[in-house]
Amino acid sequence: MNKLMLSAAIASTIGFASLGYADGPIDGTIYGKVNVSVVNADDGASDEWKLNSNASRLGVKGKTEIADGLYAVYKAEFEMCVDDGDCKGQTFTQRNIMGGIRGSFGTVWAGKHDSPTKLAQNKIDLFNDLEGDIKNTFEGENRVSNIVAYTSPTINGFSSTVAMMPGEGADVDGDGQDDTGLTDGISYSVSYSMDNLYIAIAGDQDVDSQDLMRIVAQYKFDALKLGVMYQQNEDNLGTKDESGFFVSAAYQLDKKTTLKAQYGSIEDDVDGDEEETLSLGADYKLAKSTKVYVFYTDNTDSSTGVANDEDTAFGLGMEHKF
Amino acid sequence: MNSKSPCTLLSIASIIWLFSSSAFSACDFDTDDADSPNFVDKIIECDETIKTTNKPSQRKAADTQATKLYGDGTLDRASGIFERPIVAAGSMNHSPNKAFASRQAYSLRPGAKFEQSVTLAIQRLYIEMAHHCAQGWSIEGQWSEADPQQEGDYFLHYRFICAG
Repeated sequence: MNKLMLSAAIASTIGFASLGYADGPIDGTIYGKVNVSVVNADDGASDEWKLNSNASRLGVKGKTEIADGLYAVYKAEFEMCVDDGDCKGQTFTQRNIMGGIRGSFGTVWAGKHDSPTKLAQNKIDLFNDLEGDIKNTFEGENRVSNIVAYTSPTINGFSSTVAMMPGEGADVDGDGQDDTGLTDGISYSVSYSMDNLYIAIAGDQDVDSQDLMRIVAQYKFDALKLGVMYQQNEDNLGTKDESGFFVSAAYQLDKKTTLKAQYGSIEDDVDGDEEETLSLGADYKLAKSTKVYVFYTDNTDSSTGVANDEDTAFGLGMEHKF
Repeated sequence: MNSKSPCTLLSIASIIWLFSSSAFSACDFDTDDADSPNFVDKIIECDETIKTTNKPSQRKAADTQATKLYGDGTLDRASGIFERPIVAAGSMNHSPNKAFASRQAYSLRPGAKFEQSVTLAIQRLYIEMAHHCAQGWSIEGQWSEADPQQEGDYFLHYRFICAG
């Protein structure tokens, strides 16, 4: 049997074996999105046009009831690079991947995943995955490996998640010693969500060599959705001690059109450096799962004694979710 | 672009095909929900939708979309926006032949309070039906589902249509 036939046979055998145990439809759903944009990026010295794939992805998720009220839950998500097919040398790169057990006690889960601090941001970042992505200005937007987490049930709108990350021999706190404990890195969040209000406080300790605390609030007034975040963070080597804020607003003009704006600023008390991000844009829905969008972003890095480093970009893109 | 061997591509295609039976469900799971703080809730709720809509007895009812009066409401497929009608307390409204879905929580735990009884849940549902269908209604379906947050707690669902 040649390699081609062998590969297909193995894949089919695995699949039919799964079907044998499934009760009804296979307990899983494929989902994903394609997000591409044509962008003109200007770094102050020159500009260039490019086609970007903005975290386009393919995922599988599902749950299986393994006992009365007890579920096994899983999610495996991979980035695909729609622009040139090259995701850091791979066809797919790993995004959030987790497995867990969910019961009346809450959910215990593990994998490689966005930290509770990143999740707590709750998409107040309206230009996520584009040039104006909050991660280009603020720390704390981490997808961490070896995460073991517990998420509480939601009670009266309150929910919390605490996660620990074993260092597995890496020096995660920068003290020159290998870290081999279970809680070498910790991330947590406590949130309250009711009707149109969302509030969260979240923090990291020794995650991505940072200690961090952030407060997030989001409120919807009819067609207007506002987001605000305050953050403090310092790195373990004492070379960075930042504090800053971020605000965003989305206004739904009609059923198809949403106008968006966001601004963030964070200053480093150690060297006086300041980073700012400003983005403006609009989304136009073509269908339930498809939209086109335009945006303009200005990211400025002001360092003491040095000329400002200003990057601007504008572009047109489309997103289709499935 | 990387060139991939035919066997790799065939394997990927085979795996995708295996899941394709459930890929196009009636589930309202949004791709970005996978990165939301309550992503596990979304997985659980969405899969329950899949199971429900695959039951033959409920397939017909699912054909006509009912406007949800709880949670985020119902996804408008044209606009992609969740909408939940809100009526003023005590007001009487009527939308002929319009379908709604409502739910109320109740508890069968031994220590449950009277306020958590199924009797009061039914009464609240009838008040809600009267608010939205003041000139009468028919109940098209009712079912209970367990609250995953608390053993012994349930949600009683009514699917009802205002009189024509």
